[in-house]
Amino acid sequence: MIRRWLRHPLVNLALKALVRNRLQTGLTLLGMTIGVATVLTMMAVGAGAQQSIEQQVRAAGLNQLTVRAGNWKPKADDSGEAVAHGDARETLTLPVPDLMPPVPDAAFDAMPADNPEGLSGSVRPSRFHPEDDPMEKHDHPLARQRLGDLEAGLGSAATLSFADAQAIAELPGVQYVAGGLHENARVYAGSKRWFTRMHGTDVGMPSIKRGWTISRGRFFTRREQDDAAQVIVIGQIVADKLFGEGQDAVGQTLTLWNQPFTIVGVMTSATWVVQPAPGDDQFDAVYMPFTTTHRLLNLSKLNDITITAESSGAVTELARAITTLLRQRHGIGDNQPDDFTVLTQATRALTTGGLPPSVARAVAGNVAELEKVTLEQLSITLERASRTMTWLLAAVAAVSLIVGGIGIMNITLLSVTERTREIGLRMAVGARPSDVMRQFLVEAVAISLAGGLAGIIVGIAAALIVSRTLQWATVIAPGSVLLAFGVAGAVGIFFGWYPARRAAQLDPIVALRRE
Amino acid sequence: MLIETRQLAKEYRVGDHLVHALRGVSLGIQAGEFVTIVGPSGSGKSTFMHILGCLDRPTSGQYLMNGRDVSTLPVDELARVRNGMLGFVFQGFNLLARTSAVENVELPLLYTSTGVVEASERRRRALAALEAVGLTDRAEHHPNQLSGGQQQRVAIARALVTQPSVLLADEPTGNLDTATSHEVMQIFQQLRAERGLTIVVITHERDIAAYGSRTIDFRDGQVVSDVHHDQTLAAASPR
Repeated sequence: MIRRWLRHPLVNLALKALVRNRLQTGLTLLGMTIGVATVLTMMAVGAGAQQSIEQQVRAAGLNQLTVRAGNWKPKADDSGEAVAHGDARETLTLPVPDLMPPVPDAAFDAMPADNPEGLSGSVRPSRFHPEDDPMEKHDHPLARQRLGDLEAGLGSAATLSFADAQAIAELPGVQYVAGGLHENARVYAGSKRWFTRMHGTDVGMPSIKRGWTISRGRFFTRREQDDAAQVIVIGQIVADKLFGEGQDAVGQTLTLWNQPFTIVGVMTSATWVVQPAPGDDQFDAVYMPFTTTHRLLNLSKLNDITITAESSGAVTELARAITTLLRQRHGIGDNQPDDFTVLTQATRALTTGGLPPSVARAVAGNVAELEKVTLEQLSITLERASRTMTWLLAAVAAVSLIVGGIGIMNITLLSVTERTREIGLRMAVGARPSDVMRQFLVEAVAISLAGGLAGIIVGIAAALIVSRTLQWATVIAPGSVLLAFGVAGAVGIFFGWYPARRAAQLDPIVALRRE
Repeated sequence: MLIETRQLAKEYRVGDHLVHALRGVSLGIQAGEFVTIVGPSGSGKSTFMHILGCLDRPTSGQYLMNGRDVSTLPVDELARVRNGMLGFVFQGFNLLARTSAVENVELPLLYTSTGVVEASERRRRALAALEAVGLTDRAEHHPNQLSGGQQQRVAIARALVTQPSVLLADEPTGNLDTATSHEVMQIFQQLRAERGLTIVVITHERDIAAYGSRTIDFRDGQVVSDVHHDQTLAAASPR
């Protein structure tokens, strides 16, 4: 059908007629081009906004969870003692902290005493001092106490291994996994020294931390991690304090634990929202492969594992899967508490967000439900909002397409009026009304499709310009290009219909007499 | 009888007035006749021509072509009849501007009963028709590069290209000077002689009307005289 139309001399005639009225055709084409280009650009901007919202949700860490070794929280009262409260979800569901059952519970006390990992987080006196035998692997909280971290001992039972991290990476819906160890450390460079945080981490960490950017040099490599090389990436603050602002620290040597480290990169914030500040634990910090930390401190475990989910809505589900997996791997019985804590961004905000401890504890008990609201709902709401915006933009743009269509109607009417005598003549020599109708429809569709093609080119160019100059994200989906072209053709048929019909219904005698 | 009309009447309304353009015209035209129709304006001769040309339908009466009543045919069938049986020549030539002579002549071949004639065949037939009117060397010229007489000859070629049996001309010499007018009328005579075409020409010039083998005079929607004068100007007899 279409091929027959294209070979049809009437199509040829229509095109010739359009070429004859160059100026009018050109202007109408321009109207159509603007219409299609606007639709395409708006859809690209809308889709881009949607994508960047999704990315921001990820950057904000909504798809991030952390598994921390140990299952310890500060006690609500002022005794200063740390207590274990086991599985928070089961025991802390009431918002009245004073009525909480006493913890630690029987299940905890029933734990076998000869399980050093299960008990190592307890503040009960250890049966031996870890430094008694420096050659022994001593994954013990006191290793951190020794380094002056006041938090140590509260939640740093060393129960997580690199093998755990690898097992988590195998779970469906997991994007990246990185294990880490954290210590405080004094770093020296020449005569300067600085007290900062030291992170033993994984090469994959920069993929997780979207707020990071390497301003100079590079992050350490997989090979350096495998070799436990003495390389280090330093935060912006550390670089400023040790080498002075604006100085290139890459390639310099830094001393930590009396060991020389080669600085391979400087890391800073990727966004103006977060500015590096002393004590921020991110940019006032140094990063080395966790293998290096293991070797230097004679450790074999991890303090925590950071995981990103492929979609932010699946975080709660993933947290549950990780809990199940780790309980299984750690051989924890049904009525025993976890020896780790799975934290999501919401839990973290609640437990560190300045809430009174009693309230925080009560809320933490319901956190599984809460996450559903905060995370899934938030990301779903954001996605829905951006989709609505996309359609809104497209609708506004569609108005310009209608204006373009009216332009086509106008030129086709003009063409019909201008060529009334020609129509009369064609009818006199044997053209049927349907022949005349087809001729003008073909003209209208030819203009709209040509305008559509031009509009697609202009629209893509405009989207690129917008993304370059305004720094807005734009996404041109192949589907929207096809849609724009199809809509252009439909506009041609819709707005060409009336003039073409008018032409077809002309009385040949009247048409022939028209001057 | 090629063309026969029986009590043909046409009325139409102009504002509140009912105009009787034709009041019962009964005529027969034989194949090969060269009929000229004369009469003052408003006499109904153009209306009669439009009905003959299947561009209009009578209010009452019958129009038979080869014995078939065409006055009641549907619109698309009328278009077929116009294309296959009839050729039109107009006072204002009605050539498409910015279109070469040969392309103008090809026009009716886009609407034949068997669909669009193939391009090469269209061109061959259009050139043959141009040859018949002596314009082979002007085939690629556009109307604005042609004289009035040449343009009317292109229009005649266009009317001939589907090889119709009847040629209808409404004041074909109205826009032409005397010499060119006679040239055009001679072409009509020649076509009648060579092809046995039936020709109907409306004119208000007596000397042009004299080219016909028969002159019909219209007045107030009726035929007032119908004169055969074959003997005077029968330069060539019909086949």
